Amino acid sequence: MVSEYIALAIGGVLLATVLVALFSKKVSISLIALFYSSIMLGVTFTVYGDTLVGLLTMVTFAGAVSVLLLSVILITGESKLDIGAGRASMGLTALTIAVVVSCVYVLTSGLAGAPSGILPDVSTVVMLFAWQYRPWDLLILVTVFASAMLAVANLLSRSE
Amino acid sequence: MQPDETVLMATGTALLFLGIASVSYSKNLIKSMMAFQVAVFGANLSLFSSGLLAPPDLQIHVFVVLSILVGAAVEAAGLAVIVTVYKKYRTLNPAEIRRLRA
Repeated sequence: MVSEYIALAIGGVLLATVLVALFSKKVSISLIALFYSSIMLGVTFTVYGDTLVGLLTMVTFAGAVSVLLLSVILITGESKLDIGAGRASMGLTALTIAVVVSCVYVLTSGLAGAPSGILPDVSTVVMLFAWQYRPWDLLILVTVFASAMLAVANLLSRSE
Repeated sequence: MQPDETVLMATGTALLFLGIASVSYSKNLIKSMMAFQVAVFGANLSLFSSGLLAPPDLQIHVFVVLSILVGAAVEAAGLAVIVTVYKKYRTLNPAEIRRLRA
């Protein structure tokens, strides 16, 4: 079982991102905070041993639903999406590139490829095929995650 | 009850009530849908943490997956309704929409 301090940290970050999402005046800031809270929820599920549910949460909420929300915001013109946080955007882009390069290195160097004695959790037994080929799935997921992060960075960098 | 399970359950409950309260008080339909998403997060987290102490069992995982998919589908339908409402009334304020309907 994971330490209660990790649970406290995860819960605190999750609550903080959700509070920013709910009480921010700008809809675009709310959307970005909601994106990060989806990521945090997925991380929570993954840390507590349910990889499949964690990945599904990230793909569904941080991916599909965030894009849907962004589309609706753009259609209705509810937010001008002008934030103008150039430094945050640059930092986020650098962080994304670092994360993607390290993930691609780990995944392609075979460290995560072989089933190195790590037992799959209960939920992944159902999808043994996906478990066996998980490095490729993870590589696709990393690509999708990087695209989403760069979209957020682009959103941050816009200014009037 | 384990401490980490308690923390996750408390966080999930807080998210659920925050989401429900924000859905009620929000003056923007898009923010209402965001609050609904927060409520779904809380429900999922509470459901997940309730199964942490149980022996490895597929039931809780299946329920959480089902809850995620149903939540996402409801949110997509809600956003489609929001776009339709906006095209008709040109506003996303529920009170304004109610006034225009009358």
